[in-house]
Amino acid sequence: MILALLPLIHIFLGMAAIAWKACARATLIIALLADIGLVALYFSPVSHVLSATAAGGWTEAIGIRLMLDSLALDFLLLTVLLEAAVLIYLWRQRLHPTFVLLLQFLIGAVMALVLSQDLFNIYVILELLTLVSFLLVAYDRRTFQIWASLKYLILASIGMSIFLIGVAIVYANVGSLGFAEIGVVVADNPQAGWIPLAAALLTAGVAVKAGILIFSLWLPDAHSAAPAAISAFLSALVIKMGVVVLIRLAHVFPLGPTLKILGTITGIGGAIYAMSSRDLKRMLAFHTLSQIGYLLIGMSVPEYGAESGVLAYAMAHGSFKALLFLAAGAAYDVVGSTDIGHLILERHRIPLRTRSALLLGTLAIVGLPPFDGYIAKAPLLAATHDWTSQIVLILLGIGTAASFAKLIPLFKGPYRRVGNDPAWESYVVLALPIILFLPIERALFGTAFTLPVMSWFLAVESIVIVAVGWLVYRIHRRLRVRPSERLFRLEPAIFALMIGFIAIYLVLRFL
Amino acid sequence: MAWINGTTIAMVLFAIGATALIVRRDLVIKLLALGLINSSGILFLISVRFHPQMTVPILPVPDGVLIADPLPQALVLSAIVINFAILALSLVFVMLLVERYHSTDCERIEHAVETEKATLGSQNLATISGSDETEGRP
Repeated sequence: MILALLPLIHIFLGMAAIAWKACARATLIIALLADIGLVALYFSPVSHVLSATAAGGWTEAIGIRLMLDSLALDFLLLTVLLEAAVLIYLWRQRLHPTFVLLLQFLIGAVMALVLSQDLFNIYVILELLTLVSFLLVAYDRRTFQIWASLKYLILASIGMSIFLIGVAIVYANVGSLGFAEIGVVVADNPQAGWIPLAAALLTAGVAVKAGILIFSLWLPDAHSAAPAAISAFLSALVIKMGVVVLIRLAHVFPLGPTLKILGTITGIGGAIYAMSSRDLKRMLAFHTLSQIGYLLIGMSVPEYGAESGVLAYAMAHGSFKALLFLAAGAAYDVVGSTDIGHLILERHRIPLRTRSALLLGTLAIVGLPPFDGYIAKAPLLAATHDWTSQIVLILLGIGTAASFAKLIPLFKGPYRRVGNDPAWESYVVLALPIILFLPIERALFGTAFTLPVMSWFLAVESIVIVAVGWLVYRIHRRLRVRPSERLFRLEPAIFALMIGFIAIYLVLRFL
Repeated sequence: MAWINGTTIAMVLFAIGATALIVRRDLVIKLLALGLINSSGILFLISVRFHPQMTVPILPVPDGVLIADPLPQALVLSAIVINFAILALSLVFVMLLVERYHSTDCERIEHAVETEKATLGSQNLATISGSDETEGRP
């Protein structure tokens, strides 16, 4: 039953923040300490108290099963890390109790989702995540924020209706909603007629939340419009919740080819849009799409070791994307704009610590050897043996490097001491896993987490990828081609969602 | 007329809602269509294991009588509440947009938001290039 405490603590503390307004800030610290304590229990001799349970004392068939497996543990650790970083980032700002309530609900929902093993419970929590992030994106009530989050709510709600119909079909044919029971029934008769339809409905529904290009066309607007701390949370963590559900679905349903196609489209499309985007936060948001492509391609690979690579990459991406978003927010506070050309013009006014944080995040995201971007990308590259996935992964690396090459002038001098970044401690929290990724993972997961990172070939390969990316950037700058962003308006986005669902169904049915 | 059951009606509702969401430009009608789509999901979930001979699932159950599955009935309660929350919150946001733009036309609002975002950027640019003289402050 202790597992159920993890999300519940956040829900109760969030309500306490509303009841005792003076303690709003304290509830965030209490929640962080409680999370650290509960997650530390897993590594202690009494870890059996965290064993799988059905909530509320029901039998496993109809109860909601909670389980702390390696997937859940990975994302719990990421949640605690981001919670600490965002808490430090927000420390010197005035926090309204409502904001604290929403933040606590967001963290609690994330924790409930990674532990959940029940399809309908996942539906409810995904809807809770939608509602809470909808309110947080538009927290400052600027018009473009309101429009971005309204678009997000409409698209996510359509997606969740599709997901609910999929849940109904699964329940009609399996008679249970737990992943274990569904897995048994599907393995019994993998040719059953309902499987492609149910899998297509569930995948398309989750894809809207998971940042997959033809489905989540709300993402660039919502993630670039939100306040910096919320952007960091949404882009580093909440978007991965869709990926968690996709991983769990891929264990049950035969989703391999679908995920590969979706991953290719998402990754390359996201990279192309990121290359031509001139706004820092918008570019980071497009990048989230392209990094989700990495995760999807890693999930489609059946080889041993690919899944631990996916988990490692999700964690690494969480740390450096949060760092980049927080630093971009600090830069915005000084300069008053997130336009890249403009940030470069005014770079002498951005504090050195902010610029170093941006530099560290850039080095990590393009995958240069000592940092976690490389360490987590290496097992994905090593585990994919078919040449199409290899090519897509390399193209993604080139796209990433090409879009971040835009930031190079930002790191040139002058290096005068100007101002002070009030939130630099949060960069330190996030920089720790970026620099010390390998020792930390080894310490937490032991020998189960062996990655082929010491290969010279992979190190040289990633450096060559970055160099080629820089060349592509030089060529692209001359060409001055920009893809139209009309696709990201509301009506094209809804249309693309429907088309995407039909495409997924056809792929699952006939491939 | 056995084919007119909950499942087929749900599919028809979903199709109507999806069409309205794409072709109608009015935001309020879009939200109504969204409500239709959400209701179709609920109808589908509750009618998927239903049979006309079933009775209510209340104990004690008489022998030889089919009872309806109580689990979907419990599940749709949460789904109904969630959809209510989504519609209520999105209507509030539409109200905020209408207050600022005096229109519920989706394309108009989108256009206004995009131009506003662009002018916001250039305004910031103006204030910053104006404040270059004060650069020497600590």
